[in-house]
Amino acid sequence: MGYDYIRPASLEQALSLAAQGESALIAGGTDLLVALHKKKRPAPGRLISIRSLPELAGIRDEGARLRIGAAVPLADLLAHPAQARLPALAKALGVMGSRQIRNVATLGGTLCNASPGADAAPPLLALGAGVELAGPAGRRTLDLAEFFRGPGRTALQPGEIMTAVLVPWPGAGTQSHFLRRSRVAMDIATVSLAACFGLTNNRLSGVRLAAGAVAPVPLRLRATETFLEGKALTDETLAEAAKLARADVAPISDLRGTAWYRRELVGVFLARALRAGNGGKP
Amino acid sequence: MAKKILRCTVNGRQIELAVAPNQTLVQVLRDELNLTGTKVGCDMGTCGCCTVHINGKAKLSCLTLALECQGAQITTIEGLNQYELHPLQKAFAEKGGSQCGFCTPGFIMKSAALLAENPAPSREEIAAGLSGNLCRCTGYVKIYDAVEQAAQEMQRAEAPAPAPART
Ligand SMILES: Cc1cc2nc3c(=O)[nH]c(=O)nc-3n(C[C@H](O)[C@H](O)[C@H](O)COP(=O)(O)OP(=O)(O)OC[C@H]3O[C@@H](n4cnc5c(N)ncnc54)[C@H](O)[C@@H]3O)c2cc1C
Repeated sequence: MGYDYIRPASLEQALSLAAQGESALIAGGTDLLVALHKKKRPAPGRLISIRSLPELAGIRDEGARLRIGAAVPLADLLAHPAQARLPALAKALGVMGSRQIRNVATLGGTLCNASPGADAAPPLLALGAGVELAGPAGRRTLDLAEFFRGPGRTALQPGEIMTAVLVPWPGAGTQSHFLRRSRVAMDIATVSLAACFGLTNNRLSGVRLAAGAVAPVPLRLRATETFLEGKALTDETLAEAAKLARADVAPISDLRGTAWYRRELVGVFLARALRAGNGGKP
Repeated sequence: MAKKILRCTVNGRQIELAVAPNQTLVQVLRDELNLTGTKVGCDMGTCGCCTVHINGKAKLSCLTLALECQGAQITTIEGLNQYELHPLQKAFAEKGGSQCGFCTPGFIMKSAALLAENPAPSREEIAAGLSGNLCRCTGYVKIYDAVEQAAQEMQRAEAPAPAPART
């Protein structure tokens, strides 16, 4: 466990250190240090602390979207007025760990850690969020749906650092919901689901759905979205959508639940989220 | 790995200490500074026993590298109130909020941060606020009672003295 530790003062410095390899980035450290302490991950030559980098700080309304610095602690985001316009995201962040965890854990950290069950992922996917990455080859932005590549695997290239999460403001009349099931408090989700949609005269529009802990990556439920677009919200629609959603996912059985249970729950959560659009209980 | 110098303030005292890059804050507090009030329960962020204040915020000292605290103000249970019992400490003793005592420093540090943000929390807000701290003895009821009593006492102490009665 004999790693070195260095805290660069700027993104530029951090990038040139990261380019030398043999290192790991540490933001809040709540995923990384647990993995290192429990020896679930080999110790890197050194940790590069990015939590105080000014380029990764701050929450800014850019007009069409909200820019959230990758190293902003979750508690700061939850205390920001912007969270009121992103209720599904706020709900997901609010259940992540404890207040002590949220005081240090970052949004960039949870996305780069790429756990299939990360709570923040489904709402961000359903909101159509993007991520901003900086690396030796310059800056790029990527749709979050393209970012996750497998459990613990992302589109980050060696030496790349996530600088921000970009969340387009939901249009007027867009609703967003987040549902989650876990065994006990402070446990990773067994299943989570987020839904964004509009509902006027009982017709669905702009439907975006995402689920967590039901596939190797948090994922959009594309076939279900396509089916629901423009449909009237009826019991038949809900039943068909639930069937499609169960086919959109590829869960495994583990100590938190069986594949069957997870599939079942995706359908149940989807129906609840859509019913909530008509004043039903999510 | 070579040690590095950590400069920070612990319970109002300036500290300058050589620490290893992989030493956590709780290891430094307990093993180097002899501040053994802060406990190590799970050592993986779930139990809350190691809660301290870093720049006024409740954080887990088992998941904080000591070197992340460069220049920080750290308060542990020993520094919460250096001259007499803090109202929370008094209330935990009076209400039976502490039995074996192992989780108590963490609960008190977490409660102090909660009351600083929300001086008059409801019972539900206390329960939600303390949900990152585990206690295996009390069943939590007496802990919530203690926080409620401390909140009331601290508010009374804050309130301006009543104007002298006019005769
Ligand atoms: C007790 C406990 C309870 C938890 N409960 C939950 C929960 O309920 N729900 C949930 O979803 N999660 C939970 N978590 C997981 C964790 O808290 C979150 O995933 C957290 O947001 C991770 O952020 P961090 O800043 O601490 O990441 P770190 O641990 O600092 O980093 C995680 C990984 O991402 C990389 N990384 C970090 N930032 C960047 C960046 N900007 N660019 C590139 N790579 C980066 C790091 O190198 C590392 O590999 C819990 C963790 C603990 C310890």
